[in-house]
Amino acid sequence: MTLSFKNKTLPLLAIIGASFLAAPVAAQEKTEFNVAWSIYVGWMPWGYAEDTGIVDRWADQYGITINVTQFNDYVESINQYTAGAYDAVTVTNMDALSIPAAGGVDTTAVIVGDFSAGNDAVFLKGGESIADIVGRPVNLVEFSVSHYLLARALDSVGLSERDVNVINTADPDMVGAFQTADVTAMVTWNPMVAEIAMLPDAVQVFDSSMIPGEIIDLMVANTEVLDANPDFGRALAGIWYETVTLMTSDTPEGAEARAAMGAASGTDQAGFEAQMAATELFADPAAAVAFTASADLADTMNLVRAFLFDKGLLTPTATSDNAIGIELPGGTVLGDADNIKLRFTTDYMQMAADGAL
Amino acid sequence: MTALTITNLWKEYGDQIVLENISIDIAPRSFVALVGASGCGKTTLLRLLLGQEQPTRGTILLDDAPLPTEPGPDRGVVYQRYSVFPHLTVLGNVMLGPEMAGSRVWGRLTGARKSALQDRARAMIADVGLAGAEGKYPAQLSGGMQQRLALAQALMMQPRVLLLDEPFGALDPGIRADIHALMQRLWHALPMTVVMVTHDLREAFTLGTRIVALERTRIRPEEIARYGAQIGKDIAIWPPRVAGGGTIYDNPALRDDPALDTLIAGRPDSIERH
Amino acid sequence: MRLINQRLSPPALLALKLAPFVLLIVAYLAGSAARLTDNPADKLLPALSSMATAIDLMAFTPDRRTGEYLLWTDTAASLQRLGAGLGISTALALVLGIAIGIFPAIRALLGPFVGFVAMVPPLALLPVLFIMLGLGEISKIALIVIGIAPIMIRDMAQRVLDLPREQIVKAETLSANSWLVVWRVVLPQVLPRLIVSLRLQLGAAFLFLIAAEAISSDSGLGYRIFLVRRYLSMDIIFPYVAWITFLAAMADYGLDRLRRWLFPWSEMEVGK
Repeated sequence: MTLSFKNKTLPLLAIIGASFLAAPVAAQEKTEFNVAWSIYVGWMPWGYAEDTGIVDRWADQYGITINVTQFNDYVESINQYTAGAYDAVTVTNMDALSIPAAGGVDTTAVIVGDFSAGNDAVFLKGGESIADIVGRPVNLVEFSVSHYLLARALDSVGLSERDVNVINTADPDMVGAFQTADVTAMVTWNPMVAEIAMLPDAVQVFDSSMIPGEIIDLMVANTEVLDANPDFGRALAGIWYETVTLMTSDTPEGAEARAAMGAASGTDQAGFEAQMAATELFADPAAAVAFTASADLADTMNLVRAFLFDKGLLTPTATSDNAIGIELPGGTVLGDADNIKLRFTTDYMQMAADGAL
Repeated sequence: MTALTITNLWKEYGDQIVLENISIDIAPRSFVALVGASGCGKTTLLRLLLGQEQPTRGTILLDDAPLPTEPGPDRGVVYQRYSVFPHLTVLGNVMLGPEMAGSRVWGRLTGARKSALQDRARAMIADVGLAGAEGKYPAQLSGGMQQRLALAQALMMQPRVLLLDEPFGALDPGIRADIHALMQRLWHALPMTVVMVTHDLREAFTLGTRIVALERTRIRPEEIARYGAQIGKDIAIWPPRVAGGGTIYDNPALRDDPALDTLIAGRPDSIERH
Repeated sequence: MRLINQRLSPPALLALKLAPFVLLIVAYLAGSAARLTDNPADKLLPALSSMATAIDLMAFTPDRRTGEYLLWTDTAASLQRLGAGLGISTALALVLGIAIGIFPAIRALLGPFVGFVAMVPPLALLPVLFIMLGLGEISKIALIVIGIAPIMIRDMAQRVLDLPREQIVKAETLSANSWLVVWRVVLPQVLPRLIVSLRLQLGAAFLFLIAAEAISSDSGLGYRIFLVRRYLSMDIIFPYVAWITFLAAMADYGLDRLRRWLFPWSEMEVGK
């Protein structure tokens, strides 16, 4: 009696328990893949590619199916990926380390799409330079790239976070919040940056173009899934470079693509092109390969993991910023080589550069 | 002494005429029992006397002065239900009226005035047979005890007119007999005029000095709305009961008259002596 | 025997009462174990030991940056906001609810208006609130008040209207003026209901508190949950949710005891 209870009931409960939550992704060969993306200038190509059939064309070429899902909530899309409901997701280099990698999901950056060169900015009311931020409450999304940008901005003038008072504020409310009297300092990203820059009392004192290449927008995939299904990575690269080539081309089709992406992100072609100007988009796969393979990426990731460790985001029990291993192209490993959870690879971008897709 | 004079009284709700041309004089110290079928306007008439509602036409005079247009302490009331306050103890319920009369802001007395009132309230509570229950809440009392409490509460204000709206209708027969005795004793003892609405004829004859029956004479469906109730019968109890004095039945020489038994069957309290 | 007449022995009753809790815990443990076998660093369904570590970190270890014990700082911040919101709502419900219920002129003036305001979805007003009242404490408290006060006011007003008219008339015959009717008859009778109303709104108040803290804050239970959600720290979120549930349950229980203690008669009226 007891035995049969153990034999049947526990597995049953395990199934119930696991099924009301997303089941972990099984690492095996498969033909259907789920990709999540959220609205941001550097990721709009994914939505456009889905809408215009570019995704299906590349998927068909490799005999697979790719379902592309748009998330209104960026963090939720990463959480869903981390929980195993999606095989790939659009994410920044910092969040890739702090959420899926710190959550034990071995993650590979398939595509290094762009880095922020002005898309993230620090604003003050009544101030001239970043040093004037001392003693103020600063509204930002805590633990986001905005927080990282603030840390770098403070660092640039020898200040630290102790010199300000961080107030966590939801990103949709940033523009409204900046117009209230008790908000005098804010860090946020586009499209809010463009809105706030137009407000009369907003002074932009720091932005991501001053730390070029540190805030990187990626398409990452589950490493196990990718290793078992390299065609999935190839399809992603094919989709990406066909779409960005189109969107950056100075042709009517290119303008049409930019207008469509602008409309999808709540602005128009001109607004979208302004955001693109603040984004260093790697339309040329060779440039992306060069960026990813350079030694600068190691420096950037060292800064990022130090920041995350300082904030307690590299798992609560981490005793140093070496807790999680980061593998760079060429085999260099930052941190714990026995616990590599985030990998940068140039493989798929190189294939695109070589025309080998 | 307090007399009620109702002259040519009409009460209408929109097109619906409820009371039609009621005129009646109520002598001081009377005990009028208002009887009639359900929905004939007894309670409406009582509300008019209370001041809770205003007549559509006609006048009500209380000692030759127009009746105030809202309820006041000169007219006490006891309802069948909801007559006592559930959040106050027996003592609190009985003290409430004088407390509010004596303290117009806080509704509470203090010091010597409070202890004097407490003594008076305890005496009243004992008088209605609730001694020992001072600390109880109404929910802890039986129906009969609650009505005793309601009477005590109303009488603390020494109203000139006491209005009773089927006060004993929900009580068991045995309890009702006891409380009838109490009611009669109080009426004899206190200088007030009583108007009681009841649908129980026996109760009306047991307690009243005068029975007034409201009747609708036109009851065809198309007539109901356009014709109200009128006074159908107005019977003075004979031989007359006199407040404070009992009736001639209190005369021992007449008490054995067999004719009496049919009139007062089962109501020994009606010849209770004071 | 019909199912509706089933008589259960005390042990069976106890077992049935505990079963959903046990089932939930077992399902969680099984699901957690399954996921952790697959990925030892899984954050979605952390093991109880990781939750214990997280609790220790949040409640009994000073924060590295501020030196504060985060769970208690968060609790204090949230309870202050909640207390202010509930307090203001209760006071409004008491004053306006009774006024609407008893005075015809105020009922005409405010009754339909409050009924209208009660239909406004408060969360939809959040952006407006933040712009009008700023991101500070006022807007958070205002959200709670806007969320629950109209409902409590309507409940109070209805409760006053439900008082038998006979009682009001009776009080008038006992020489009460309008004020004394309110003070000695209406108020004491609706106070127990006010506490009941408050209990029923506790859940909603927590909801609005957490929503407000999620938008902009630097401390609070809702703030922490939405913050750590960013890196999927379910090991912190689960204990926080349990703690909020516990606080709400204690407040609910405490208010009910308070009502019984202050208004013993209200318990006797139940079931009459």
